[in-house]
Amino acid sequence: MGALYRLFLRTQATRGRLIGLLLLGALAVVLGYAVGASPSADPVDDGTILMVSYGLALFVPVATLVFASAVLGEPNEDGTLVYLWLKPIARWRIVAAALAATLTVTLPVVVIPMVAAAAATGAGAPLVRGTLAATVLATIAYTGVFTWLGLRVKRALVWGLAYILVWEGFVARAGANPSRLAIRANARSLLVRMSGGPTRLISVSKPTAIAIPIAAAVLGVVLTIRRLIRQDVA
Amino acid sequence: MIVVDDVSKWFGDVVAVSDVSFRVGPGVTALLGPNGAGKSTMLRLLCGLTTPSQGTVRVLGADPHGDPALYRRVGLVPQQEAVFGSLSGRQFVRLAAHLQGLAQPDAAAVASLHVVELDPDDGRPMSTYSKGMRQRAKVAQALVHDPEVLMLDEPLEGLDPRQRLHLIELFRRLGSDGRCVVVSSHVLDEVERFGSRVLVMAQGRLAAEGDFHEIRALMDDRPNRLRVRTDHPRELAAALLGADSVVAVRLQDDALFVDTDDVGSFRRAVAPAAVRAGARLLELVPLDDDLESVFRYLVGRG
Repeated sequence: MGALYRLFLRTQATRGRLIGLLLLGALAVVLGYAVGASPSADPVDDGTILMVSYGLALFVPVATLVFASAVLGEPNEDGTLVYLWLKPIARWRIVAAALAATLTVTLPVVVIPMVAAAAATGAGAPLVRGTLAATVLATIAYTGVFTWLGLRVKRALVWGLAYILVWEGFVARAGANPSRLAIRANARSLLVRMSGGPTRLISVSKPTAIAIPIAAAVLGVVLTIRRLIRQDVA
Repeated sequence: MIVVDDVSKWFGDVVAVSDVSFRVGPGVTALLGPNGAGKSTMLRLLCGLTTPSQGTVRVLGADPHGDPALYRRVGLVPQQEAVFGSLSGRQFVRLAAHLQGLAQPDAAAVASLHVVELDPDDGRPMSTYSKGMRQRAKVAQALVHDPEVLMLDEPLEGLDPRQRLHLIELFRRLGSDGRCVVVSSHVLDEVERFGSRVLVMAQGRLAAEGDFHEIRALMDDRPNRLRVRTDHPRELAAALLGADSVVAVRLQDDALFVDTDDVGSFRRAVAPAAVRAGARLLELVPLDDDLESVFRYLVGRG
């Protein structure tokens, strides 16, 4: 599996992708400093809103989408998947290597700027811890979902952006029960509960906020393995 | 080694392979047919890259789609040019050796690259390789685990004549050693050089199968149409109707369209006929000598 993992790392972490996403991460840190430097009645509330509205709503899902949808989606589209598929290895091993490589690339790219941005707001350790937990959880969940999406559809980046904007954006705000189906709403609830931010942003309990994204990740992995076993390979 | 029974494959309304059955044993077998005949789909079915809509495929006794362990004994050179462009040829072939579970993947990769005459010490990424070099790297990764069944989809495309000869010789040697080598091609002369058994596919169907020379004779026996231009078309038409090899003659736009069942005899007969008719021959053009028409004929007679 090590050889596959190294291959996926190499093909995924292209210079263009890394530069684009590092710039988005740098913007999060700049915004964090801006919040921290401005006079505020409640830095925890302002910091939490920044982490939720920029970090969890945009930066984390988009960064994960870019890497996760490409890891199996690109070889599937350009025809190189055949060189992996036509080997005597269990399909789950291919998926496991792809997920491991995606998390290896994505977690540092999103977690470091998000934690730095949270620290820069000056809201204190609870926001930093909440941001760390929510970011890791959301990244894992999105990795499962977007890896499957990359294998399932062509132009997965477009479909993924539509999912982030329409499904996550709409469902996350559509009341307590529907919002449980959105990864963003669960990650947001966890972050706010840990940071002590505005309670109106909480839509689910803490156990639910942890369980649903993990379930989404597992579902994504299962669907990816199933897809890889059953699909036609170009 | 390969058994295909009543296999059809359709994609929506498009039938790519229709009711095809054949057996392939050790040696080189060429899958011949024009572009779009269903050769690549057939090879993908044999490798398990897609499943038949109907019928069964067995390779070394197993279903190639549901049994990854089978791939330890099978190698494929796919038609698409894409390779992992960031890897060197050696890394690419070593990856294949590694995934095949070989004990010494690097040594196996080096040996396989030598077989296809690529330099293992060439560290350039394959994105900088010529088409021929990429093609040879693809062959090397398919050979690295010494498979019993080797399938090659248009493997000679992009190669220069010397490399073509080298690979043809390689495939023939593998066939003589008892490997099952299935090579798809749309080039008749290329297939002739394999000196092999031939499966002719056209419009998704198996149009003919057998020894190459039998197929070739069948192709040469088909009716042919030629266009003859002359300064005295009516006189030449009358003279040609007496020739044994001429089936029909039609005059249209000052040109004669001649149907013949023996092109060689007709070519020998046309000049004497022109002399007898006092006509000067201006042009003699075969109208359906291309491979497509040969395949159409074979399908028509099936």
